[in-house]
Amino acid sequence: MMSFSRRGVLLGSAALALAGRANAAAPPQRIAAIDWAMLETAVALGVMPVAATELIQFHKDAVEPAIPDNVIDLGLRGSVNLELLHLVKPDLILISPFYTRHEATLSAIAPTLSLPFYVKGEPPFEKALGAVRALGERLGRSQEAAHVETDIRAALETMRQSLARFTDRPTYLVNIGDSRHVRIFGSDSMFGDILVRLGFRNAWPDRSRFTFAAPVPIENLAVERDARIVIVSDIPVEARSRLRSSMIWNALEPVSQGRVLQLPNIAPYGGVTAGMRFARLFAEALQSEGAGR
Amino acid sequence: MKRLAWIFPVVVTVVAAALFLHEASLRLPIGMWGNALASPTSMDELILVYGTFPRAAVALVAGAALGLSGALLQQLLRNPIADPSTLGISAGAQLAIVVATLFFPEFLDGNRTFVALFGAGAAAAIVFTLAARRAFEPVTMVVSGLLVGVTAAAFSAALTLAQGEYLMSLVTWNGGSLSQQDWSVFQSLSVEFAIAAILSALLLRPLLLLGLGDAGARALGVNLVGIRFAVAAVATALAGFVAAGVGLVSFVGLAAPALVRGMGIRRPAMVVAMSPVAGALLLFLCDGLVQLIASSAGETFPTGAVTALIGGPLLLWLLPRVRTTDLHEKPALMVRPLPFRRGLPLFLLAGMAIIILALAVARNGENWIMLDLNQIADLAPLRWPRLLAASAAGGLLALTGAILQRMTGNAMASPEVIGVSGGAGLGFAAALTFWPLGGALTQLAGAGAGALVVMALVLAFASRRHLPADKLLLAGIAIGSLSSSVLAALMAIGDQRSWQILAWLGGSASTATAGTAMLLAAIAVVGLMVSLFFTRWLAVLPLGAPVARSLGVSVPVSRIVLLLICGIATGAASLLVGPLSFVGLIAPHIALRAGFVRSGDHMTASFLLGAVVMAFADFGARTATFPYELPLGLFAALVGAPYLIWLVARGER
Repeated sequence: MMSFSRRGVLLGSAALALAGRANAAAPPQRIAAIDWAMLETAVALGVMPVAATELIQFHKDAVEPAIPDNVIDLGLRGSVNLELLHLVKPDLILISPFYTRHEATLSAIAPTLSLPFYVKGEPPFEKALGAVRALGERLGRSQEAAHVETDIRAALETMRQSLARFTDRPTYLVNIGDSRHVRIFGSDSMFGDILVRLGFRNAWPDRSRFTFAAPVPIENLAVERDARIVIVSDIPVEARSRLRSSMIWNALEPVSQGRVLQLPNIAPYGGVTAGMRFARLFAEALQSEGAGR
Repeated sequence: MKRLAWIFPVVVTVVAAALFLHEASLRLPIGMWGNALASPTSMDELILVYGTFPRAAVALVAGAALGLSGALLQQLLRNPIADPSTLGISAGAQLAIVVATLFFPEFLDGNRTFVALFGAGAAAAIVFTLAARRAFEPVTMVVSGLLVGVTAAAFSAALTLAQGEYLMSLVTWNGGSLSQQDWSVFQSLSVEFAIAAILSALLLRPLLLLGLGDAGARALGVNLVGIRFAVAAVATALAGFVAAGVGLVSFVGLAAPALVRGMGIRRPAMVVAMSPVAGALLLFLCDGLVQLIASSAGETFPTGAVTALIGGPLLLWLLPRVRTTDLHEKPALMVRPLPFRRGLPLFLLAGMAIIILALAVARNGENWIMLDLNQIADLAPLRWPRLLAASAAGGLLALTGAILQRMTGNAMASPEVIGVSGGAGLGFAAALTFWPLGGALTQLAGAGAGALVVMALVLAFASRRHLPADKLLLAGIAIGSLSSSVLAALMAIGDQRSWQILAWLGGSASTATAGTAMLLAAIAVVGLMVSLFFTRWLAVLPLGAPVARSLGVSVPVSRIVLLLICGIATGAASLLVGPLSFVGLIAPHIALRAGFVRSGDHMTASFLLGAVVMAFADFGARTATFPYELPLGLFAALVGAPYLIWLVARGER
């Protein structure tokens, strides 16, 4: 049976790709995105990478942007399949400072571009926009970058105005870890940054507490009694029934008064696309649930 | 009981209670508690009644359960360092929960206890079966438990990694958290503990009779097998209950009986009876400290991660108390000695096979394909460094295993056990923490420094005059356990570096470059040559210290020199491909079985076998789930675990 596996085709096309590399002055054509925020940024600029990491998980966790099937999956972010990356023959590899450990290995395959999105304690939204500009410049798409930036700022402004009637309530942005713990998005998270830009006050004054182990006991959400709670991304299946029956969770004023919004999955460490996805979903949830929220 | 010994528990109780009252009164002044308990309405009252109080209660009952479990195991095995964590029982429960979370999340919701019990039981069964063959000798038992723990942790890390971020919450398992949102955990745990306590009370008399020795006990009409099984089952179940309720809380079961004995209580019945009290107080105190840190410094550690820190030092302190039966008997295994040159063609053949496989075979996502020469040449720069690095690391670990097994006369000795890998991990974590943007070189330097520091500690221990070789292993375990608990704590509070720690723990050869691979290969070859220089020591040391001395071998000196070689070899291997399991354990076994009994042949054959096994493991790791690379450590463990089980099934050693 004849079947064109994309990786099978890939092995053959390696030689073709070599020709593309010779022309050094032209902007890079074959992009490999290791970092998810960079993947988003490239797609936002209208450049679909030829390969990216953990696409199965990306589809589930980030949802947006949709990645077509012909983009090659490079394996786990933590251990990229170097052989496959080599065969892809990229002319630019997109990473972030999280991948410093692998930078030497990766730049042996192709030039890398590493842009910071998340720096401890600093709001990431402007950095993400900066990444749009920097990547746009590198890809010869400065004009598109400018458009993207204008569009995003305009969209945010529109949303800010239409949400103004909801902003008197402080807002907790959480992600449920288990029935007793949440991760909290602070001002140094994409969502927290966007929240403030939409004119809301983040009920959590500190920096984000977003770690593997959800670090914040749920009772910490009781500090701001008037707040609303926004749950970003699905609640883990195994925590659902225990959370529903939890005395403390149910005693939280926002919970007992029905001021909880559940948003679908959004990548917590994403770029502008994830940020705007959050803004849109948050706005939609608020508007459809009514002013009480 | 020692005079004035009573002061100690009183002080602990007062401090723990004061911490609790401090924490609780931060929430609500004590005067208002009556009201709150009667009808909690405000959030602070609710948290006090459904958060703070149940948390304290759970700390007490979980501590008591672990204390009882540890005391039962210690009495049963006559082993002062037995507890659910050193025997791998808690790790087994952890693995079961991780697997269930991954593959059967709906089932886990509501069946947590069952899942944890299953895991704990399976781990206990493996460790007890392994240990039965050496008459439950304390050190072997703990070493087996450690290996089961290492495997469980490797599988759990690999599975977490293979699933990506979705599983972040699983890492909570590295340290059980005691925070509560109602009384349900306390209720189930206290009922479970009460039942177990009653069963223990019923079993206590026959259990103490076992202390008289098998013959004596049998004469008094005790059903040996039945009693042993029942006691082990109760102890295992207790660990499983705690694991299901609050997660992994290590070493409370080790500490509680030790504290009771430290107070001068000697009567076994009293030790078993008082251990739950000691365990309850200990966990209550630890949890109070954790909450104090959380409320004053804002850094939230899971309580389990903190109790894990006491394990290492505690093991070191208990070391002198461990009875070691001298098991330097003749090797039970009788094989026809095989001169090395006879085995050489076999190694050459295996070597050729793996080289062809590693360089010329590929997967394209659907099929296995043979590459043509151009493609081989194209991919070779990516493939040969990892092949070389993996084989060199395998060789070094196997060599270390062979040396350690000969030196200690303990068939369970392996590089994981001397704790050097753990030290490298600790250094790696420190580098990530203090120089987050330092890059690969800083991380390598950190890992190297960590390996050297731990090695120095082991050496310092070894230089003590009368330290039997078996206990040396335990010193290594203690240090390794300290390192891994620090790593776990870091992972729990960490951010993106948790990801890097997790990736490193799994181990992958793909990070090897041409330079690092060559360096590691050079270290491997030099290491082998240097070890062959000490062939005579290794032929003599297995005969026991007195024989060695009489043959003019200085036991301390030879031990230090050999350990230095082992430390450097393991450290170098761990630096580049992560702490790998089992190759260092099984390669020397297989080499011995094959007939390479002379110490020089044994080392060379182990080295080559380790190299080949690791090269195959690397091939498997990068092709099995293409394009998603599996951690090399997992694959190495997949080679090793079936071998261990086979060994158990054969019932010989």
